Amino acid sequence: MKREVDDKTILERFAEDFARIIEKYANYIIVSGFVAIMHGRSRGTEDIDMIVEKLSFERFFELHKALIEAGFECMQSAKAEIIYKDYLVNGDSVRYTRIGEFLPEMEIKFAKDSLDEHQLKTRQKLDFTGMNVYFSSIESNIAFKEEYLKSDKDLEDAKHLRIIYKDKINEEEIGKIKKEIKRLRMKSEE
Amino acid sequence: MRDKTHLEQVERWAEHVRDNPEWKKQVKSFLDSQIIIANRFYKKLAETSEGREKLKLLGKLR
Repeated sequence: MKREVDDKTILERFAEDFARIIEKYANYIIVSGFVAIMHGRSRGTEDIDMIVEKLSFERFFELHKALIEAGFECMQSAKAEIIYKDYLVNGDSVRYTRIGEFLPEMEIKFAKDSLDEHQLKTRQKLDFTGMNVYFSSIESNIAFKEEYLKSDKDLEDAKHLRIIYKDKINEEEIGKIKKEIKRLRMKSEE
Repeated sequence: MRDKTHLEQVERWAEHVRDNPEWKKQVKSFLDSQIIIANRFYKKLAETSEGREKLKLLGKLR
């Protein structure tokens, strides 16, 4: 058993410890770069991106309290009210670290539209990663990276995931998600 | 996109990961060392006279 723990990276231990608290209060997904890294992309990252279902303030207050008790702190504020009202409900993310550590960070934000809701609904535990956390689907990750994020790093992440899941990827689902990205995310930015 | 050889390496490495279950052992120290080195740096920076101010600018301190 000890070997299992030792085999995990700092990022994995951090993500699993954090997600264990979150899942008691809300549905969540881990998205983007960390998904690629846990599939073997050999690149660094400072933060892990997490989308959490939208919560009432009372529910978030309990969640924040549990995170503090478990040894995490929020970089934006120690006060749940500020984190909730000044950041999360405005669509901004906040970052948690282990107390006294600078990295890694968990960047969390609330689900903001039907696309995020769809990602939460289709969340998966991915056997390949060996991790006990929920990820957004591989199709979602590829769609966002190819259609929305589009940096060199993101396009390479998508290419990597396409090779790992060769012959298992649902192209129709990727196409649907890309359409929704164009409709919901790109029109509002024009 | 970066140059052709870079993309070829991305493909080569992805195929290696897909076909070799031991891939995580090969990258564990690489992934961990980035976190360890960055944390070590930020902690040293925090001890310098203007370090805490710089860390606030970097968004690493409340």
